[in-house]
Formats: sequence, C-alpha cells, structure tokens
Amino acid sequence: MTGSDPRVVSRRGLLAGGALAAGGALGATVAVTAVGSDDPATRPAEMTPVAEIGLAVEPFHGTRQAGVATEPQAHAAFVALALRPETDREALGRMLRLLSDDAARLTQGRPALADTEPELGLLPARLTVTFGFGPGFYQAANLDERRPPSVAALPALRIDRLSPHWSGGDLLLQICADDPLTVAHAQRVLVKDSRPFATVAWVQQGFRRAAGAEPGRTQRNLFGQLDGTANPKPGAPLETAVWVPDGPSWLRDSTTLVIRRISMNLETWDLLGRTDRELSVGRRLDTGAPLTGTDEHDEPDFDALGSGGLTVIPDFSHLTRSHVTEDRLRILRRPYNYDGVPGADGTADSGLIFASYQADITRQFLPIQRRLAERDLLNEWTTPIGSAVFAIPPGCPEGGWIGQQLLG
Amino acid sequence: MRTNTRPGPAGFLAAVLATAALLLVPASPAVAHNSLKTTTPAKNAELDKAPTEITLEFLQRLDPAFTTIVLSDAAEQKVPTGEPVVTGAEGTISIDETLANGTYTVAYRVVSADGHPVQGSYAFTVADPAGAEAPVPTPAESSPAAEATTPPTEPAAASPVAATDGGGSGTGTAAVIGGGILLVLVAGGLVLLRRRRGTA
Repeated sequence: MTGSDPRVVSRRGLLAGGALAAGGALGATVAVTAVGSDDPATRPAEMTPVAEIGLAVEPFHGTRQAGVATEPQAHAAFVALALRPETDREALGRMLRLLSDDAARLTQGRPALADTEPELGLLPARLTVTFGFGPGFYQAANLDERRPPSVAALPALRIDRLSPHWSGGDLLLQICADDPLTVAHAQRVLVKDSRPFATVAWVQQGFRRAAGAEPGRTQRNLFGQLDGTANPKPGAPLETAVWVPDGPSWLRDSTTLVIRRISMNLETWDLLGRTDRELSVGRRLDTGAPLTGTDEHDEPDFDALGSGGLTVIPDFSHLTRSHVTEDRLRILRRPYNYDGVPGADGTADSGLIFASYQADITRQFLPIQRRLAERDLLNEWTTPIGSAVFAIPPGCPEGGWIGQQLLG
Repeated sequence: MRTNTRPGPAGFLAAVLATAALLLVPASPAVAHNSLKTTTPAKNAELDKAPTEITLEFLQRLDPAFTTIVLSDAAEQKVPTGEPVVTGAEGTISIDETLANGTYTVAYRVVSADGHPVQGSYAFTVADPAGAEAPVPTPAESSPAAEATTPPTEPAAASPVAATDGGGSGTGTAAVIGGGILLVLVAGGLVLLRRRRGTA
C-alpha cells in the first residue's frame, strides 16, 4: 500500500535533489577557490583548495620512517605479506630495494619505475609507505637474534577471537594518504613489486574523516567515541613513548607496531543508552571529557565520588583500565575505522583497525592490553578478530632502502 | 493503489494491536537487565543493632569483576568495608568496624548479563539504644562531640543517587511506562481518526 505512495517517492526525490544541489554547490565553490587560489586575499581561509591536498607531500627519506608521527591521513591500507619459502636474506634485500624505490617515488608525486598508470602517481596527497618486519621476516633473513624481543605474537588473551585472515604477516606495508585513489594505486604498485618474493596474507583498509574536515581533532570511531585522546603529545612525550633511542643501527630510531582488528558490535551498542555508554567509556561522548571534567584533555579524577559514594568514573570503564600517566608507558594510537558490507539483514560489519606504536610492546602495549582484557566493560561490545606485530625499522637516507641497516 | 488509503474499523483495530505488540517489544531488553531484588539490611530499615555485613541479592548472577558495593555515612564519608564477595546473584561486603548510630547509604554498581551497567543506592538507619552516641529520631540536637561524622540532619532516607539507574527500576516500571505510552497512542489514534472523519 505504501510502496507506491507518491508522497514517499517525492520525499526521496527531494532528498536526492537536495544532496545533488549541495554537492554541486560545494563543487562550484571548490572550483572557484582553486582557480582564484593565486590571490590569497580572495580565498576563504577555512577551505583548503583541493589541489593543495592532492599535491601535499610527506618526506620519505630520513632517520625515521614516515607514517608514524605523521599527522594521520584520511585513508589507509595495511598490507601484510607472507614471504615465499625461497625468499632469503639476499632476496629480501632485492625486494626492499625495489619497494623502497617505488615507495619513494610515489610519496614524492612521481610515478613508480614501471608504472602502468603513471597519471595516478602524480597526486601523492601526503602519501606515506611505512615498512614493518614481522617475526617471520627475521627468520627468513636468518637474523632472529636481531629481532626486537617484544616483536612476537601476543600472548593469548581471553577476549580474542582471532581469525588467521586478519593475523600475522612477515612484511607489512602501511600505505596512508589523504586520497583513496592514491592509496589504491600505491597498493597495486607495491603488491606487484612484491609478487616474486611474497604472497598477500591480508589487507585491511580503513578511513578517518576526510582531509581538512576536522583538522587537529581526535578521530571518532564508529561507536561515536573520540579515539586517541590519551596519545603522547608531540615533542618529548612522543619521543619517549615511540622511538628506540639507542642500540645498534637497525634498532636506533625504530619503533614497533601492533595492529588489532577490532570488530565493534553496533547492533548491541545500539541498545545502550547514552549514559550507560559514557559509563562504559568513562568519557562524555560529545566532548570526550572524562566524566569528572569538562574538556577532552582534562586529567581524569578516578577518586571523585558521586553522591551515593560510587566513583564518578566506574572502575570498569575503558578510561580507567587503559589509563597510564608516564610517557614511557604510553602508546601512540593511530587507528582507522573499517566499515564492511552489512549482512542481508542489515547487520553491520564495522570496527576499528587499531594501530599502536610504541618503543617496546612488552613494556607499553601489553600491560594496557592485559588490563583491558581483564576488566574493560567495553569488551562487551568489541571483539579482537585480528592481531599482528611488526618492528618498524629505521628510515633510510636518499639513495638508501628500508632495512639496509638490518640486511645490508 | 492510492485509492485504498483509509483503513476500515478492522484495519484500525489491527493497527492498534500491531502497535501494542511493537510497544511491548522495547520493554523486553529491560527484562534482560539486572536489578536489585532484596537487601540485608532492608531498604529504609531501622536497626536496633548495627549490621556487620551487607548483602545485596540481584535478579541475575553477578560478575565479581564488575561488582561494586560501597557504604557511606550521612556525611557522605566512605565507611571501611571489605571487597564484595560474590556468590551467584549475591554480593556481600563485611563492615570493618561497628557502625555508630545514624543513617547510612549503600550504593551499588553492577553489570547485567548483556553488559548494561546498573547502579543505585538505598539507605538504612542504625538506632541501637545501647549504641554509640547518636540522636535517634530527631537528629536536630546531635551531640557535637565524638564522631564528627554523625549527621546534623538527615533528609528523608534513601535519596536514590543513581543518576543512571537504568535497569534498576526493573520490568514493572517498564510495563507501566509501556502501558502509558500505549494509552496515549491509542487516544491519539482515536482523535486522528475522528478528525479525518470530520474533514472527509
């Protein structure tokens, strides 16, 4: 009866028309801005011209790899490769020279060496390619004694429901850019390069807000929570938390990465009222402020009591369980959301590609993860379904290649 | 297709029934929430002997990792107790020292089987004739000496704290609310129906 109700149809038409009109208006504004961009006086300050986003470049060469302390780009592909049995130390060297060369080109807005779609290599949009070495990499190179001890499969956790489809991997390529087409092209180029040496173990693609949509803000996950508030601040805190300060050349200026694929049950989360959601997290959903504060970065007061004598922030809240105060114990979270295709009944396939950087997994990541596994109420709605660990080796100078300190 | 827009009386009845059925559904998650069943001492109890422990019995099994029970005196100071000992649906805290006369608040925070946090509180009063200093019925003239924590005034017991006593109210309340909504809806429907007829 209602299926062909013209009122419904017309409302839909109106919505679609409105969206088109809005899109058109936006496009027009952007075009005008881009054209007039040589005269900064006429340019609205708040709008970044599209061309600037596309042409923006992050450095590839340096003592440290990009893509860690780099302001997170809007899109990411985490590509985990499994080395072929015949890929030995010498082959790894050849592979990484090739990958480093093409990654360097693409990040600087130049097509890859044998780029089949060279036009796609011209807009780097802050592309970074970050290399990670899994435990199997060191074995293949017969250099297990050089593996950072904490780079090993995580101990089994009560909350884990890990799938091999999202776990492990010998070599990681973390590809991030503010443009999804740039990410797709870089992924294609680098996977083709690696074919003689490795197979694809898994790929996880994720997103955050579009470039320029919410600059400088903590990202939101698909539960609507601010995610990454407690990150170490740039400068000394981040230095302490993330980078290995000394040691042999293959360790100095390196870090480690834990990737956890965390399925988020939007169906049961939907049943939770706003107050209960905030009790589970220990923070307000709108501002991200701790329940005892008003600003996102207010220090939480875990001893503050409500009128009944209960702590204002529940001891089972995610905030309470994950809280650390020392910089050397902090982790740098750089997560991306994923949103798969819903089931036929509409059940969401959504979650988080949780990416955590720290100098030492055992010292920093594991204690937090253990406390969360033990008692975080948020576990009720989240399930880790993938887990992988990698060393992020130091960067390389111009003309060098990632991994040269280890393999060279 | 457009001609058949107005449901007949049978259609209207069916719509009301369907609405009623729909309204009953949201009430069911409340059933899944945990809530407080009985307490010892009882809510608003006046005890002539100080209790040595407090036991809260809930509708559902408790998870010790997510069970908090705290005791506060009338000055909202925490009273030293042991950690909750959980057995099935019961959580018990032992009270370290003999309670002086006065009104106390028990607050709890537990988690339902479906993960929903449930919290609330209630009060009881200790009025031991042989007990420590305490003005029993009229706290107005409390002896200022000794325990500074003794309340000058204690407002009518059991001001329920729980900002978020989500499921604490239990199914009964949900059913009442559901019924209320249904009533409003049916009334609204009838008014609409009458208006339509009037304008047709």
